[in-house]
Amino acid sequence: MLDHILSILIFFPMVAGIFGFMVHKDSMRAYGVAVGVIEFSLSLWLWFAFDNNVSGMQFMEHLPLVPAFGINYILGVDGISLFIIILAAFFTMIGIASLPDTKDVKNMIITLLFLQMTMIGVFAALDAIVFYVFWELSLVPMLYIIGAWGGPRRIYASIKFFLYTFTGSLVMLVGMLFMAYFFYQATGTWSFAILDWYRLILPESFQLWLFAAFFVGFAIKVPMFPFHTWLPYAHGQAPTIGSVILAAILLKMGTYAFIRFSLPLFPDASVYFMYPIAIIAIIMIIYTAMVAYAQKDVKQVVAYSSVSHMGVIVLGTFALNVEGISGSVFLMLAHGVVSGALFLLVGVIYERRHTKMMDQFGGLAKVMPRYATIFGLMMMASVGMPLTINFVGEFLSLLGFYQQSHILTLLAGIAIIVGAIYMLAAYKKMFFGEVTIEENRNLPDVNKRELLALIPLAMITIWLGIYPKPVLGPINNSAEAVVQLMHNKATSEEAKLRIPNVSGVVISKTSMKEGH
Amino acid sequence: MEKYLYIALFAPLVSSLFAALFTATPKKQFVGIVASLLIFSAFVASTILLTHVLGGGEIVHVELMTWMETGNLYIPFGFVVDEISITMMMVVTLVSTIVHIYSIGYMDHDTGFNRFFSYLSAFVFSMMILVMSDNFAGLFIGWEGVGLCSWLLIGFWYHKESATWAANEAFIMNRVADLGMLIGIFLVFWNTGTLQYDGAFAAMANLDTETLTWIGIFLFIGAMGKSAQFPLHTWLADAMEGPTPVSALIHAATMVTAGVYLVVRSNELYALIPNVGLFIASLGAFVAIFAATMALVNRDIKRVIAYSTLSQLGYMFAAAGLGAYWVALFHLMAHAFFKALLFLGGGNVMHALSNELDPFKMGGLGKTMKGTMIMMTLASVALAGIFPLAGFFSKDLILEVAFVDHHFIIYTVLLLTAGLTAFYSFRIIALIFHGEDRHTALGFHPHEAYKFMLVAMSPLLILAIIAGFTFKMPYFEMVTQLLPATEYHVHSQVAYWIMTIGTQLFVIASIFFAYKKYMSPSIKVPDGTSKMENSFAYKLLINQYYIPYFYEEYLVKPYRELSTILWEKVDQKIVDATVDGIAGLIHATGENTRDMQSGNLSTMLKWMVAGTIVLLSLAVVFGLSVRYSGEITTILSGLGV
Repeated sequence: MLDHILSILIFFPMVAGIFGFMVHKDSMRAYGVAVGVIEFSLSLWLWFAFDNNVSGMQFMEHLPLVPAFGINYILGVDGISLFIIILAAFFTMIGIASLPDTKDVKNMIITLLFLQMTMIGVFAALDAIVFYVFWELSLVPMLYIIGAWGGPRRIYASIKFFLYTFTGSLVMLVGMLFMAYFFYQATGTWSFAILDWYRLILPESFQLWLFAAFFVGFAIKVPMFPFHTWLPYAHGQAPTIGSVILAAILLKMGTYAFIRFSLPLFPDASVYFMYPIAIIAIIMIIYTAMVAYAQKDVKQVVAYSSVSHMGVIVLGTFALNVEGISGSVFLMLAHGVVSGALFLLVGVIYERRHTKMMDQFGGLAKVMPRYATIFGLMMMASVGMPLTINFVGEFLSLLGFYQQSHILTLLAGIAIIVGAIYMLAAYKKMFFGEVTIEENRNLPDVNKRELLALIPLAMITIWLGIYPKPVLGPINNSAEAVVQLMHNKATSEEAKLRIPNVSGVVISKTSMKEGH
Repeated sequence: MEKYLYIALFAPLVSSLFAALFTATPKKQFVGIVASLLIFSAFVASTILLTHVLGGGEIVHVELMTWMETGNLYIPFGFVVDEISITMMMVVTLVSTIVHIYSIGYMDHDTGFNRFFSYLSAFVFSMMILVMSDNFAGLFIGWEGVGLCSWLLIGFWYHKESATWAANEAFIMNRVADLGMLIGIFLVFWNTGTLQYDGAFAAMANLDTETLTWIGIFLFIGAMGKSAQFPLHTWLADAMEGPTPVSALIHAATMVTAGVYLVVRSNELYALIPNVGLFIASLGAFVAIFAATMALVNRDIKRVIAYSTLSQLGYMFAAAGLGAYWVALFHLMAHAFFKALLFLGGGNVMHALSNELDPFKMGGLGKTMKGTMIMMTLASVALAGIFPLAGFFSKDLILEVAFVDHHFIIYTVLLLTAGLTAFYSFRIIALIFHGEDRHTALGFHPHEAYKFMLVAMSPLLILAIIAGFTFKMPYFEMVTQLLPATEYHVHSQVAYWIMTIGTQLFVIASIFFAYKKYMSPSIKVPDGTSKMENSFAYKLLINQYYIPYFYEEYLVKPYRELSTILWEKVDQKIVDATVDGIAGLIHATGENTRDMQSGNLSTMLKWMVAGTIVLLSLAVVFGLSVRYSGEITTILSGLGV
């Protein structure tokens, strides 16, 4: 069974989703939770069986689809994708478990299960076409979730979300086709296998164009400034569960793809575009943080804060060294946990008051102390308090980029200031002061169902903040492999210099440890 | 010995978690007692460690587990008890034990009693991490941890707008400095390859001065935030919104001295870059007098004491910057004792007068609050630096350091500040405890604090009196195992005596002047009409040199406005409008061309004809260009294409 665990992880939710149509709607919630728990247990089993010492792909599966064009169904995980898959399984599970009473709960759960299939597919796929298929398919359930269960402007928001990201993906697809064609020209055989592509060294001019094509697709997904405006609409209109999955997992597809495709395929182009991308990342960090501060709707604050944090992730990725890439992968997980939790928390208050406007609250710390505590914890994680999960990722990302540029890191570091400004301001508006609005006086505190989702997230936030090693170790190994591959493949002088040679470094590291 | 290290470190955490269990329940007296006992056990463990260190035992160094490990980076949770950290541990655990016990009385009627102890103990835990960590990353954990606890405790009464505002201000302003700190840490890592103190400082000896200067500057920026040095000082006075025990513990004795601790800890670095050291010393001297002037006129006893703290921190930085690290640490310790005492005394006064803070509305309280009066007076004497109390030995030493090192400007500034210190300290003493009774008319019925609160304060009183002459030499011998053992002696005996006696006389004169001025029966609650209150100097000082105003008008407001503009104008009107514009363009193209496909036969025939003509002309153009391709190429090449 372990040989096919990735296929099982991908298709079990889908099959379960199809059977879900036959389940009676009263027992649907239990059914969904059961599927979620099984899926999550499987993903934990994957982690258990995962060999931490191997930096390459594991649990590979191979099945020819269109042999003439080298399109194969190839799956595999390494330290970079493993934890995002677990996170996806985890969020679907707690998402279903904590689902409030919505209309059409049955369809919602089926949609979520299909969404889960596409998410895990994206992170497990090692063939560009299979990757692309899952990447695009993931839009459909999300389109439904926003369009069917969203707020008043849900149609506009969902169509905008769909068309915008779809357009970007098409450019990416063209890039993939070109890449395969180059591969064909160089080797004489067609292949869409990413691992095959890794072996191909492209001339720098080709790299630049291909990098740009892939970049459009990824940047819209992340979303990077100035392609981010679909996100506030999507979050603003999506139901809580939609926002949670969108922020926690779907955004990570873009940054994950940078590490999976852009960096190892185009090392010279990555170095070439490092500064422009870093500048975009810094704009993302500061600009969206300021926009977040201006918001009146607490959900929009969290939405814009997501963009701001994604800026740090992108920056860490383009540090092009092990520290930065490990940090950015870790921050993907961290941001998933924390922003997911924040969206859930916003959902909690929305359920009670049917408004997300901050001026409608105030003094909630007195009325809902437990809610205020969990919100406070997640807020502190979001601003990067040490010993919470976010700090590890943020620290490593910035530390990594510092090797490339001092001044840009200093600018990016403003994240820790502006992040504190909008978060503390929002917290103050919602929780501090006197209760002024009569309706807020008797709000019930978080209930058991909500705690079911929030407590595990709070525990992860602290656990991985204090002891990130179980996750950081495998990530580190795979990040080292990526950096080494890039270093070996780099052709230009500058790229060789910018991308460190890891194998030389490993020796000094062991000697350093002996020194302790 | 490791066992005691763990007790000292984790007892506060246990205390915090224990108290946290009861946050949702009404006040429970035992929560405060258990918390105090746990903190006391940390104090006992620290004392045992101190005797170990004093006895010349080995430095206790433990590595609990790995925190972060990736690439070349290796950060463990490592803790060290050496001469520097044990000093801080003693100060922290002692003052926090006293403050915990005191708070049982002070927070007596507060609904957040249990929550308060949870936060307070969490603070102690963070502070212990800060001072015990053996690497910069661990220091940063504590650094941010105390920031968080400070935020929680300043905003403890979260229903008050001013309190939550002050809490956020403190947090954000500290964050500005933390960025500097973070960059300093990055610099250390990329230049030395490690964040462990021993490894990093050893490697620094081989670095060029420019790099070291940058490291020194950035780390000091971090220190400036926590220790509220100019221009990041405004949060400290506003932080007085928190409950008074918090002010005593966090904003006088421990957290604000973290910056000094950092500079002392990095002494090996700063010894290599004396220019940065001189800058630190100059800034310290400036802050000393700058804060002291603001304390002269303020009408809020807690704020006066806060400015006094700021001023004393300036002294510490002056000493540390001049390389007299052990003197800085010694003054840190002595200051912690008498300043905490002063704050707790202030707390008694506040309690007695239902949170009234204006000393002009008090007067004559000495009759009802004898114990508090004696304590605060002695603390002020110690602060003023009168022989033989603690301040004399620590503060006058800093003056000597400046003098011996020939930094006469710094010396003069610090000397003047000593006079101002004595004046403002006794100004509030005189206003609160002496002179006419002004409070009864305002409807206050003061009472002395609980006896156990006074008893809890008494160790601080004893230390404020004896810390100077009993500890100075043993302390010097202990701490100079690790720090440069520079002794500062004025060479000429005569000059020494003139200096010492002169300073003493100057300070005593200031005290008498303060008493004379503020004990007079003509003192009334100022109503803004007197001549002094309308003078320029007074306005400047009472408005804190207009710096908070400047921040509000030129930083906070523009930031807020810019944010709104970025959102409403840039994000919605430019970025998003472009996207919608493109979509609209495509949509409009479709709308406008749909007539072509209307199904009307004559229209479609018209379009068919038009299409045929276009295709034919294209065919002709291409045909011709193929035929004459040779000529076209020549023409084009002739044109230089």
